[in-house]
Amino acid sequence: MISFIIRRLLITIPTILVVITLTWGLIRLAPGNFYTGEKQIPKAIENNIREKYGLNKPWYVQYGKMMGQVVRLDFGNSLKYEGQSVNQIIGRSLPVSAAIGLSAYGLALIVGIFLGSVAALKQNSKGDYASMALAMLGISIPNFVLGPILVLVFSLSLYWFPPARWYGFPSRGAVLPILTLSALYMAYIARLTRAGMLEVLRSDYIRTARAKGLSERQVVIRHALRGGLLPVVSFTGPALAFLLTGTVVVERIFALPGLGNYFIQASLNRDEPLIIGIVAFIAITLLLMNLLVDIAYGYMDPRIRY
Amino acid sequence: MNDDKPTIPGDLDKREPGLTPDLAPTYREGDLIHTAPEFAIADADVLASERGDVIPGTSLWRDAWRRLLKNKLAVFGMIVVSIVAIASIFGPMIIKKTTGFAPDSIPSDAKLIKSYPPFKTPDGSFSWLHPMGTDNQGRDMLARVLQGGQISLMVGIIATLVSLLIGVTYGAVAGYLGGRIDNLMMRVVDILYSLPYIILVIVLLAMFRRNTPMGQLLLLFVALGSVSWLTMARIVRGQVLSLKNQEFVLAARATGVSTPRIIFRHIVPNTLGPVIVYATLTIPTVMLTEAFLSFLGFGVQAPLASWGTLATNGIQNIGIFPWQMVFPGVTMALTLFSLNFLGDGLRDALDPQMRKL
Repeated sequence: MISFIIRRLLITIPTILVVITLTWGLIRLAPGNFYTGEKQIPKAIENNIREKYGLNKPWYVQYGKMMGQVVRLDFGNSLKYEGQSVNQIIGRSLPVSAAIGLSAYGLALIVGIFLGSVAALKQNSKGDYASMALAMLGISIPNFVLGPILVLVFSLSLYWFPPARWYGFPSRGAVLPILTLSALYMAYIARLTRAGMLEVLRSDYIRTARAKGLSERQVVIRHALRGGLLPVVSFTGPALAFLLTGTVVVERIFALPGLGNYFIQASLNRDEPLIIGIVAFIAITLLLMNLLVDIAYGYMDPRIRY
Repeated sequence: MNDDKPTIPGDLDKREPGLTPDLAPTYREGDLIHTAPEFAIADADVLASERGDVIPGTSLWRDAWRRLLKNKLAVFGMIVVSIVAIASIFGPMIIKKTTGFAPDSIPSDAKLIKSYPPFKTPDGSFSWLHPMGTDNQGRDMLARVLQGGQISLMVGIIATLVSLLIGVTYGAVAGYLGGRIDNLMMRVVDILYSLPYIILVIVLLAMFRRNTPMGQLLLLFVALGSVSWLTMARIVRGQVLSLKNQEFVLAARATGVSTPRIIFRHIVPNTLGPVIVYATLTIPTVMLTEAFLSFLGFGVQAPLASWGTLATNGIQNIGIFPWQMVFPGVTMALTLFSLNFLGDGLRDALDPQMRKL
């Protein structure tokens, strides 16, 4: 187990460095920079700026400085939001994204596993087809279409929830963003649960469980779900990546001050420290979560030994 | 009944389980059958051919096609996708011919430059002129949605082709060469898999934004294609691993065919089934990603407009002119829905083992 974690970390750390290097390379290779705007700045001022931020040094010195910051997890100050450090901005916006994202994922797990198991237990029934069609719909509707439709129905017609404002969490303002975000995972989880359960329900150990006289309830909850949910567990890694892109959209539709919104703004503003900081943060979180998922997988599937 | 020949054991009406109903009638009362019932069909075929009956051969593709047609959802998907594709290709031309509205023609009469609802004229009476209403500049929404379909489908298909090209080549080379090279190439895929690629795509598109619509479109093809080839590479590699030790490859090698030729002329055509299935499922994913990027403002640029851009433009007016968002959004969702069903149906048809899942 320990050696597995060490081996995984040995791959994970270079991967994070690759992501950051790629991002930095893209920012640097692209023509223009933060200071090229509509208004031309005088040569002398530009030189002063380049001097101040070390932009006149050779690229490897700048790369080394950037990497040093990443290793110390201190990304310096944002160029656009003057006087605010990147860490402050992440610290302020992360709770918003995390609250929305994690509640959406929790909701998706509950509803998705329920729908998927029901569909698998009653395979080829009307309920099965209905929930699978619903799941396909969830995969096919872009969330930036679903969100405004929910706003149109629940905010602008029924006046149940506010359309777009952050009132903190939990609040009525968080309901629609969570619903919008969770639709996609709900659909994926329902499909994965159904496929996993169908495979498991036909396996020998379930027949054994039935043969020794366990109630159907016990067979499903104690035996089948444990094996049938394995695909859902391994989906959690990619799901977190989806969650990220999902929150970007949801945060823009509902005007939430989250990490995704800042990331898009930073990319448009070419705010290099902020971009690097957010990308590094996301990459580290994602890869660590993937590692945790792999470990959890080992605990759930007794066939896997590290 | 002919009494001097042994006949098929059992009654035709009580067929053995496992005989599919549409094949069973190929053997008749009186046919010579000595083998176990599960081999009866094959024997019946052999015997029938000895008798001179013509048995139509069924290829893998014909079988798959038959199975596909039995899948109602897949047929539904195929029909919807065909209708949307044909309408997108020819629709704008037909609308232009019949009503004179081009997707980007703004009416010259200032009174018409406003958004009015579906099937309505500016003064509120019923009319067939704009079945999807108009946008803020008084442009016909139907024409715009159909033209958006052209762009969205084009991005989906071309980016998928780019990913096919990279993925198939990479996977086939890794699988065929095997050993250390395979190991290295697949480790690279593993690492790329765990990258938050959408973040990199956003950075790439934000940094290298093109000023010309065509340049931006090309950038999109490359960006989307180059991040969606990983699964394709894995699938092709797996297929190649199971194919490369078969006799036809050995025969090709024995006759002195060069390695690249063996890979691309002998092995790759045999991986076509899974590749087609996965490509069909990649198209909606890519279209969704394009829409997502367009929503963020990194996608297709004006005057070109995809469904994603149209829906995004509509969001700003959702409260007053909902049709501006609903029509492109729903058309897109319907198309993706159908493509997904078609892809699922193709997978079931080409891979019967997966069918019952």
